Amino acid sequence: MSAAAAAVAAPSVYSGGASVIALGVLLAEFGMFRQALIRDQVRLYAVQSALISVLAILVAAVRHLPDLYVLAALSAALKVVIVPIVLRRLLRGIGRAGKDGPAPGWTEIAGSGSLSLANTVLLAIAVAAFGFFSARALGIHSAVLPLTALEISVSVVLVAFVLMIMRRDVASQAIGFLSLENGISLAALVIAAGLPLILEVAFLFDLLVAVVVFELLIRVHRGRAESLSTADLTSLRG
Amino acid sequence: MSGTLPIPVIQVLQVATIAVAAPGISGVIARVEARLQGRRGPRVLQPYYDLAKLLRKEALAPEGASWVFLAAPVGAAACYLTVPLLIPVLTSFGLPLGYMGDILGGGLILSLASFLVAIAASETGSPYAQLGASRAKTFSAITEPVVLFVIFVVALITGTDLPYALAATVRSSASQIVRPAHLLAAAALFMVILAETGRIPVETHTGTNEFGMIEEARPFEHSGPYFALLKWGSSMKQLILYTILLNVFVAPWGLAATAQAPAVGLAIVALIGKAIALGIVVAVIDNSFAKLRLFKITEFVSAAFLLAVLGVFTLYLGGG
Repeated sequence: MSAAAAAVAAPSVYSGGASVIALGVLLAEFGMFRQALIRDQVRLYAVQSALISVLAILVAAVRHLPDLYVLAALSAALKVVIVPIVLRRLLRGIGRAGKDGPAPGWTEIAGSGSLSLANTVLLAIAVAAFGFFSARALGIHSAVLPLTALEISVSVVLVAFVLMIMRRDVASQAIGFLSLENGISLAALVIAAGLPLILEVAFLFDLLVAVVVFELLIRVHRGRAESLSTADLTSLRG
Repeated sequence: MSGTLPIPVIQVLQVATIAVAAPGISGVIARVEARLQGRRGPRVLQPYYDLAKLLRKEALAPEGASWVFLAAPVGAAACYLTVPLLIPVLTSFGLPLGYMGDILGGGLILSLASFLVAIAASETGSPYAQLGASRAKTFSAITEPVVLFVIFVVALITGTDLPYALAATVRSSASQIVRPAHLLAAAALFMVILAETGRIPVETHTGTNEFGMIEEARPFEHSGPYFALLKWGSSMKQLILYTILLNVFVAPWGLAATAQAPAVGLAIVALIGKAIALGIVVAVIDNSFAKLRLFKITEFVSAAFLLAVLGVFTLYLGGG
């Protein structure tokens, strides 16, 4: 036991469990880099959102906040069911509309462009490390906060940025944005679990606005450029 | 006092358990895999019959091969018989010889064995054996960093890099099991084990298609008792890696806490039971995924690397 005492002390079961779920969210974010089909990316987004709901239930159970059960249910209904369905229908419609040529956008993700997959993942690892360091540098100490989960949520946000920057099609940029929102809800659950329910729900419905905006953006872009790729936009530069 | 075994006997039993049980575990996995595919499959004891048959056969060496070709299988088997001395196979307390090497020492001996087999394969001049050896070395160059990071995680958690210390830490409380660093390290190690034992996302274990082969192609030119030693060695390697994953990371329960004969006997049964359970999981994975293309294997291993690196991050920066 003397050896164990000299080592890094283990977190409590609650904080360890919260960190594991947060890690699942981060791994799902990394998994999105690997997906070659937008459909799979949407599915991964649903998995990630489901993990957030599980975390909400865990926090609710441990800290006795019954409001959070409602939030978990609402968040699951919205992010696991409705948003993926909307995205999928939108993309399917686009795939059918391009009947004259090869259906654009539905199957292929316009490649990452400048960097190969392995390099992108390495870059994302470096960015995630920066997220860990920066959250660590804030010097927050608390007996009740699962701090590792907080650091991971910062990494999730940063890695989602990398995903949005590296991807060249509007649809997976939109999913990158939505998963960024997942990272922020993760941080919110960890830091401010006791927030009034009405505020949390309001934030959740902001997401719907984002989905509508992205839907509009995708449709307009597709109408103008006949593809989902944003690579065509670079030719507008002077 | 009659029930207490002398410590040297337990030490020998550790090695004997691995050596004797290893082909049986391979047999069980092959059987389960066949049943999952709707075939009847070979007998569980088939690997023992194979070994017995090969040991009776004549040994041939390719023309021009030097003594290294014949010495390598013996050396590799000796390496695999040494490693069980270093890891907790049967007891939760450290045996006298258990402290002669840490996890790095065990890893070094395992890679020495695979190096010997690779040298023997390149002695032969046979294209397939050389191809297997060069591929195995290429991919182990990528799995080594993963193993290193897993060891860093162990070292950060326990303050030592002795496998016994980590097993004791894991047993100490539930919070040690759910801590993210531990889960990440265990998952990364499991992926490395899949790669090292030539299981499906990396290599078809039972196939005869030479182009996809990595580990399996290396002993192509060996025959008779030497081939038997290589086959036995690779099943021992598999059981050793399973033992490290099970008794150090995932399920270090059922180990003998004293030198009493019943406790040690129970530990042998528990180890074999756990290894079979893990083998069934591996067989299910074997049947549910497709083999990766050769150039995609780096992505599989880099996923393991990601897990191990995140493990170190959470531990070093977050205390997870």
